[in-house]
Amino acid sequence: MRTSQTLRHLIGPIELLHEQAGPRLLRLTRLGIFALWIVKLLLDPLWRLAEMPREMFHPVGILALLPASALDALLTWNGLAALLVFTLGVLVLALTDKAFPVVAAIAAVLLTAYSCLIRSFGPAVHTDIVLLLAVYALAGFAWADWITLKFGGKKSLSTAWSSYTLVTIVAMLCLSYCLVGLNRTIAGGVHVFTGDTMEAWAIDASLRGYYFNTNIGWHIPEWSAVVFMLRSGLPVITLFEITAPLCLAVPHYRWIFIPVMLSFHLLSLVFMNIFFFDDMLLYLLLVDWSRRFPALRAPLRQASA
Amino acid sequence: MAIPTRASSKLHPAIAGGIIALFAALFIWLLSFSPWKIIPFALAGQAYALIIILLAFRYWPPMIRLVKSMPVPHRVVFGVLVGAMILGHYTLNNRTYFPYVAWEIFPFVNECDPVTCREFIATTESGAKVRLLVEQLFPSIVQIDPLDALDDPKLYPPGTTEHLARALAKAYNEHHAGDPVRRVDLFIMAVKLHPPASESRNRPSCELLKRYDISSGQ
Repeated sequence: MRTSQTLRHLIGPIELLHEQAGPRLLRLTRLGIFALWIVKLLLDPLWRLAEMPREMFHPVGILALLPASALDALLTWNGLAALLVFTLGVLVLALTDKAFPVVAAIAAVLLTAYSCLIRSFGPAVHTDIVLLLAVYALAGFAWADWITLKFGGKKSLSTAWSSYTLVTIVAMLCLSYCLVGLNRTIAGGVHVFTGDTMEAWAIDASLRGYYFNTNIGWHIPEWSAVVFMLRSGLPVITLFEITAPLCLAVPHYRWIFIPVMLSFHLLSLVFMNIFFFDDMLLYLLLVDWSRRFPALRAPLRQASA
Repeated sequence: MAIPTRASSKLHPAIAGGIIALFAALFIWLLSFSPWKIIPFALAGQAYALIIILLAFRYWPPMIRLVKSMPVPHRVVFGVLVGAMILGHYTLNNRTYFPYVAWEIFPFVNECDPVTCREFIATTESGAKVRLLVEQLFPSIVQIDPLDALDDPKLYPPGTTEHLARALAKAYNEHHAGDPVRRVDLFIMAVKLHPPASESRNRPSCELLKRYDISSGQ
């Protein structure tokens, strides 16, 4: 009896994240996500890609649908600068509420093109994919709101409508982790966790050096403590990845998940030069703000109250 | 005359569970381990785990409440976004359906020892050595393929490595006009996974593979 009570106390309440979220929280999320994309684009000298050898360009996603002449025009200084400026303009518009469904949908298409473009010179890496999917969610649910209001009137939207977008974004973030963990465990098998695979991956990433180049990771074999941390950390992190969907339901789990995964992402930066800062910022959505701040809660419906 | 009650005809939960487990095991064996091997377990196993997770949410009252409160357009958006992510994962393709990709990070055993990597080291006019990294000189690019992949004729045409070396030198020179790059060397670096206990180095061991004279080029 006492054990079950302790266990229940440890697990804590089981409640859906953002279940009480209101329009203000949704608005803040929209602002945050579009502002993050704006910052990313402002820091990106996209036009420089015109100088890259063209034979390295293998179009990814929707870019593969474009004719060669359109790609030729895009891969010029002018074409790339135009894409960047136009996308930035649309993203700034998305910060306002003016024709949001249309603007957000255009932003989603432009950001998809941008994300495909920057991956077309190499592998289609996973950085900022969830941030792009979050834009899809914002655009998709904005259209769903519009359709519901248009054909069903104001009463057809429930008080929970703001939470749909937030729950979906968190669900996609958690699902991305879960799929990574499941893939590693089931496709990779036990040997991924038992040998020196993690050191090999870390040294490989460290030697290659990306935008962030700490030049530390290749020393790993000389540091037995780091080797131990990597070997023991991989199964732990994989377990957290697989169980990430619990973040939607268990607040206590989120308070363990957030610091563990934040440290994992920071250590990936230090030893492997890999930085998923978009995912780290999306962790802000793992906090149930509306339960803490009444101003961010959905208003109770007058008629049904 | 005793009338059999409905309760007495019910299976004991343990027996029912056992039968279900047996059928599940048979199904898994038939699908992935039988001589026919219709779907490899690497894929099917992920699907089973995912189905369990999705079912847990499917029958969780707060999730049911949320989905039931959604008007039809919202349910469609929710289903399409989550469903497309799962479908994208099972395409096993990272490029064609981007951003609906196969989610794989360190998904297999890496047995390279020593771990090797190619790098471009530039020598400037003043004799300084500079490492040229695509991801730093072209920050839009998150990652390129490893430099040795550029020599794979199935992926890239001949001469791609040299074209890249020249593009990097040009990009570097645009920001360092006072001390431009004169030569780019392609090195291969190697790091042993199990170095001798006393070994400590300032740099990984390097071997020159090729030299590109930049000043005479272009």
